Amino acid sequence: MAFKNISLAFARCLSSLQPRFRLNWELPRANLRVVVDGLAGALAICVVAATPVAAQDKPGSVGLGIFTFTSGPAAAYGMPGKNAADLMIDEINAKGGIGGVPVTATFVDEAQGAQGVIAEYRRLAGDAKNQVMVAALSSATCLALAPIAEQLEVPTVGWNCDTHQLLMDGKSKYVFRPNGNTVPEFIAYAIYLLDRKPDVKTVAIINPDYAFGHDAAKIFTAALKALKPDVEIVAELYPKLGSPNYQTEISRLTTARPDVVFSNLWGADLENFVRQATPRALFTSSQVVLALGETVLQRVPLPDGVIVGVLGDGWWMSPDAKVNPETVKFAEAYKSRFGEYPVFPSIKMANALIYVKAAYEGAMQKNGGKWPTRAELAAAMKGSKVATLTGITQTRADNDGLVDQIVGVTMKTSAQPFPVIGDMVRYKGDSLMPQAGQDPLAWISTLKPEFAKSLPKPGSYKIGER
Amino acid sequence: MSNAIIPLLLDSLASAALIFFAAVGLTLVFSVLRVLNVAHGSLYSIGGYAAASACLFIASRQLNSYLSFAALLFSAVFVAAIFGPLIERSLVRWTYGKSEAVQILITFGLFLILEDLQRLVFGVQSLYEDAPMRLLGTSSIGGVVYLNYQILLVGMAVLVVVGLRLLINHTRLGRLITAVVTDREMAQSIGIDTNRIFVLAFSLGVFLAALGGALSTPTSGIAPGLGADTMVLAFAVAAIGGLGQIEGAAVASLIVGLARVLAIYLAPSLDAVAPYAAMLVVLLIRPYGLFGSVTARRI
Repeated sequence: MAFKNISLAFARCLSSLQPRFRLNWELPRANLRVVVDGLAGALAICVVAATPVAAQDKPGSVGLGIFTFTSGPAAAYGMPGKNAADLMIDEINAKGGIGGVPVTATFVDEAQGAQGVIAEYRRLAGDAKNQVMVAALSSATCLALAPIAEQLEVPTVGWNCDTHQLLMDGKSKYVFRPNGNTVPEFIAYAIYLLDRKPDVKTVAIINPDYAFGHDAAKIFTAALKALKPDVEIVAELYPKLGSPNYQTEISRLTTARPDVVFSNLWGADLENFVRQATPRALFTSSQVVLALGETVLQRVPLPDGVIVGVLGDGWWMSPDAKVNPETVKFAEAYKSRFGEYPVFPSIKMANALIYVKAAYEGAMQKNGGKWPTRAELAAAMKGSKVATLTGITQTRADNDGLVDQIVGVTMKTSAQPFPVIGDMVRYKGDSLMPQAGQDPLAWISTLKPEFAKSLPKPGSYKIGER
Repeated sequence: MSNAIIPLLLDSLASAALIFFAAVGLTLVFSVLRVLNVAHGSLYSIGGYAAASACLFIASRQLNSYLSFAALLFSAVFVAAIFGPLIERSLVRWTYGKSEAVQILITFGLFLILEDLQRLVFGVQSLYEDAPMRLLGTSSIGGVVYLNYQILLVGMAVLVVVGLRLLINHTRLGRLITAVVTDREMAQSIGIDTNRIFVLAFSLGVFLAALGGALSTPTSGIAPGLGADTMVLAFAVAAIGGLGQIEGAAVASLIVGLARVLAIYLAPSLDAVAPYAAMLVVLLIRPYGLFGSVTARRI
């Protein structure tokens, strides 16, 4: 225990070094930062590497560093994740915690930017109590944190992290994504769209101007071109993330007269876009596809027939979710605590925490009930198959996740005061993923119309039909 | 592309109207007080929050929806009445005659305080209330459906330009402001209460900022971070038009609006840089802005 306390104190001292140097040493800052970063990193590795010997004792609590957006326009997506984490941690603790140890969380706001997030990650990782990081929402944050996670050897679970670039090299030991990535997520939309509207000729795209928006456009376009080569992209717009006003973009989309408008706008941007586009008849002049549309169903009156999905299987009202008592209980508890039902970012976060809990239990089962080290936790995550609130997440050898993809269209029902998803399809996670190490765009270009024909059709995903 | 000319022009006007509302208060305050108010963007977003809250209150009490138009205007008056005198008397007056660096540091500090204050009061989620937009309906022009509210905004911007011109040139207050702008010390020596003029002019600037925020809310909603974006754009417009020039702000808004819209229609990847590219070109040709002029620096 004494060694553990010394390690902890040492790690805390290290984490406080960096800001001090940064504040006071102005002139040689660039060189100094390299030295300080290197020293802090190397020493932190020593501390972290030495800690597991003592960490076999059960700690007083399991600390989780949870990274999400709690401010700014992206908070519309990030806060449901935080809410779900609060609720799920309470539920886990009510059932005795993990291996009898209560779970505590430290939330980090990703809105502070990469430098701040990295500093927070290092600070939290320096505390041996925080054995796992649940990071992060933004693909940009995930890409920034991944090398640090590997350097510090801290198991890091990407609770959202859509970009397919995250685990492409297949060498990651400590970074895991128990979700799908941009490849299956956006191929699913192309296939669903062509099944529902086989005569589509022209498509316009409006995505946010950063990696997620551009990657999604590339994958969606590549899949459409592979499955229906005569499709033409007539407009591609990439408004700045956090834009409040889309009126000009809506005019531009309308003048392009596309059969289909595709978008992966999200958070407040998506709400703004829908509110501004609805009265301007964009939803009636074109078939609109909103990849993250489920997140606004309870907030914005989306018209019927808009293609929406959940970038995975995380819909609380899916046929699988409805027959799972845990999911029903979670959704009702969420509604009573936060005033609305969980959206798919909430479910993704809840599923990520279930994944972490399963890793602890799996690791303890393997080592005879002793408290696991970080390395043992990472080993337990690799190749795991975990039942979540909405399905199963399987971790491949490259640490990427295989999760089913649900897509459908908006429709009204008497059961809810807001639109729900109907005419659904549930594609198997592995059917839309290239093999580990395979170039995703090269793989997509090999897809043939027969491939799409072999997949389930819209409307095939119903209760009792899986 | 020929079918896009009418929508392109209409979008430019609509975009220019919103940009003008963001910039005109900043340029007015600079013309009278010679202070670059970095907190201007925050006052714009506070106006937006006040208007959205008032409209949501009207909707929640099921009052006549047309009251929301009055709410937009009165929320701007309310924000100006509270924040104008308070900020000018407590902070801005200490910066008169000081270097630009001091002014920017003080108003930037205020900007940070106001941004956090908004998060504390209104939270981090977006606020929407689009009753004024819905009430006015839509019109189809050049094959594109436009909100009549967008057209109203263009009219409002013209009204503000004309109103400010009338205020400055044809009212006693306007003449007093002109006297203070022309020669502050001389105005003081002939008995003009410059402190009062400063409070009034700053409050008018706050009113215009808050009005811009309030009028943008029905179409855009309001979320944290809006203040910073607005501020940067307002500076670009003020620089193009010439700091302190109201007509300059109007023309600069048209240029920036047209630049943005042209970028979105023809080269979408240049959308974000278009306003600043326009600013660069104008300042290379006219370093003091389109309507600005060289002023002798007093030593």
